Amino acid sequence: MYNSIFAGFVAAVFINLLLSILFSVFTVKLKINQIVTGVGFNLLIAGLAKFLLILIFHSSSNTPRFENFPSFPLFKNIPGVGELLSDYIILFSFALVFLSQYVLFRTTFGLRLRSAGENPEAAESLGVKVRNYKFYGVLISGFLTSLAGIWLASNQNGFSDGMVAGRGYIALAAMIIGKWKPYNIFFACLMFAFFEAFEITIQISGFGIPSQLIQMLPYLITILVLVGFIGKTKPPASDGIPY
Amino acid sequence: MPDIEFFNITKKFGELTANDDISFKILSDTVHCIVGENGAGKSTLMKILFGVYHPDKGYFCIGNDKKVFSSTYDAISNGIGMLFQHYMLIDDFTVLENVILGREPEKKFSLDYRKSENILRELIDKYNLNLSLDKKISDLSISEQQKVEILKILYRNSDIIIFDEPTAVLSPLEVREFFNIVLKFKEDNKTIILITHKLNEVKEIADRVSVLRRGKLVYECTKEELDIEKLSINIIGEIGEKDIVTRKEDVSEKKTLINFKNVGYISGNRKILDNLNLELKTYEIFGICGVEGNGQSEIVRLMMGMIKPSEGNMYKIIGEISLVPDDRIKKGMIENFNIGENILLKSPLHYISKKNIRNISKNIISKYDVRVPDFNVPMSALSGGNQQKVIVAREIELDNKAIIFYHPTRGVDIKATGFINSKIIEMRNSGRAILLISSDIDELLGLSDRLAVLYRGTVSKVFEKNEIDFKDDISRNVLLEKLGKLMIGINQE
Repeated sequence: MYNSIFAGFVAAVFINLLLSILFSVFTVKLKINQIVTGVGFNLLIAGLAKFLLILIFHSSSNTPRFENFPSFPLFKNIPGVGELLSDYIILFSFALVFLSQYVLFRTTFGLRLRSAGENPEAAESLGVKVRNYKFYGVLISGFLTSLAGIWLASNQNGFSDGMVAGRGYIALAAMIIGKWKPYNIFFACLMFAFFEAFEITIQISGFGIPSQLIQMLPYLITILVLVGFIGKTKPPASDGIPY
Repeated sequence: MPDIEFFNITKKFGELTANDDISFKILSDTVHCIVGENGAGKSTLMKILFGVYHPDKGYFCIGNDKKVFSSTYDAISNGIGMLFQHYMLIDDFTVLENVILGREPEKKFSLDYRKSENILRELIDKYNLNLSLDKKISDLSISEQQKVEILKILYRNSDIIIFDEPTAVLSPLEVREFFNIVLKFKEDNKTIILITHKLNEVKEIADRVSVLRRGKLVYECTKEELDIEKLSINIIGEIGEKDIVTRKEDVSEKKTLINFKNVGYISGNRKILDNLNLELKTYEIFGICGVEGNGQSEIVRLMMGMIKPSEGNMYKIIGEISLVPDDRIKKGMIENFNIGENILLKSPLHYISKKNIRNISKNIISKYDVRVPDFNVPMSALSGGNQQKVIVAREIELDNKAIIFYHPTRGVDIKATGFINSKIIEMRNSGRAILLISSDIDELLGLSDRLAVLYRGTVSKVFEKNEIDFKDDISRNVLLEKLGKLMIGINQE
């Protein structure tokens, strides 16, 4: 009964949306500080995942192995990238780059969503229901993070404790380096992915460089890029301020 | 357009009665000025009309319809627009995005940018707003930002437009431009309500005037009946309270404290100050007039030691200089601190007890006539005029030899302006060297011992005291015209 990847998919999305609603009750309705709430959620959910792992699967480290999604057949035979492009979630994430650019900068919904993050008082004075838009924003991000989690577990054919390994924070860093713009963020993500792959390659090849040093790379690069190459990055003016 | 009529509007905030049984009529297609001091209830009344507040008693009619708006959005939908003192703009958005937000023209799956652009272009041309739609707000000047707010109102088809002290942040030329826009509105049968406390502006543009004092309507007149003297008496109330300190005789042994010799200042590749000469002397108020952005803030920053001259020399024989900055909220104070804490910001480091702070607050409140509900409230709870008094108090109490007053009475009511002006004269009489930079020409003419015109980073002319004295309205106007021309670079001599 545990072995349906589709049931897992639905459950993951459902639970993430539930958590998003809870998060927006705290931050949008009750106006609690977003960082404090976020840290709370982070610790709670990491613990909860392990707790449920023991409760349901009687293991403190991982679930039993399960099958991945069936693959998308169309690009399967393209050499080099065939494997990559037969994954539905990866394909969707590429489409997402263009989709989010379009929604954010070409539609009324996007304009209003951004206005809620920039100057909620001004937006409200023009009849934009700021709290609703903040709620939509949290819901969308909840849905997208659920996809990220689903991909990670399905790609490894199982969930193991701590497998996220700080990638959520890397996503935040990518957003900052990408200056809150979808295309830039795409390239920032590619850069992080490159260094992660690099790190793994070096470790496997056994060059004799201490692995801790190599693991520092993505973070080191973040700092270097932030101070050196892209200039000032400016968050939305009301980012993180309860309204 | 129908008339607007108020009936017995009463609005209380706790103990304070902001509007007390106000009834009057605003005729359609006119410019109606509402004047009064800060805290007289002008903004409250207009915010009731705009749906921000609900009256406790009374109502208003637009035409024959009795109205009470439940929100500003409701008011906007009924054809009313309001320009607030603090602009509601999104810095990172373009002009176009700011204007259409909340009422966006749409195509099937997206926002119709082209259609928005066409609509806005037409409005811009019609009212000579001179704005480019794809610029970001953060790249615009204050007066351009004001135009964006005006465009927002126009885009929402408002026929009744309320302006809350629109000229407080504008230079004389920009005021002219603004008035032209207002007159154009009038031609188009829009009703304009103007909240202000600049009486010369009332004289220039008002068709009718209503005066509020302490929440009550105390005086009304038409353009024909308008008399500035009578108006100001009605605004202030008791006449004896003007407390203007008379100026003492000129002293012969003035001492130069700061001397600019051929100073130039270059920022990036722009020459902001160019071959500038000026002297700041004791027992003297040195006034600077000019359109904002001609080097005023650079002169201040040079004197304060925040930047160094790129060319020429600045000689300074005093250490500390007091500064009343141009933007009191951003540069002059910490809003969440109380009065005493704000006073202590500039004092040397030492242990401060709560009692100590309390005593300082109390002392300043009584000495500088600061009106507060309670001496312990944060600065943000004070009216603009009272905030400014606290800042002026701090800078004077520092007891420095030189004081810079940079827009000391901008957005400050008449009474507090009178108080601050008399303090400036008092400081001059006690031998301080004073630099006064202001966009209020009357203030400059009234206070300056010498008055310099600043144009493109250089002093184009210095008027001595006897040259800026005027006896009557005619000689005042001649002088104003001369100054106005110099300020835009026309030098007839």
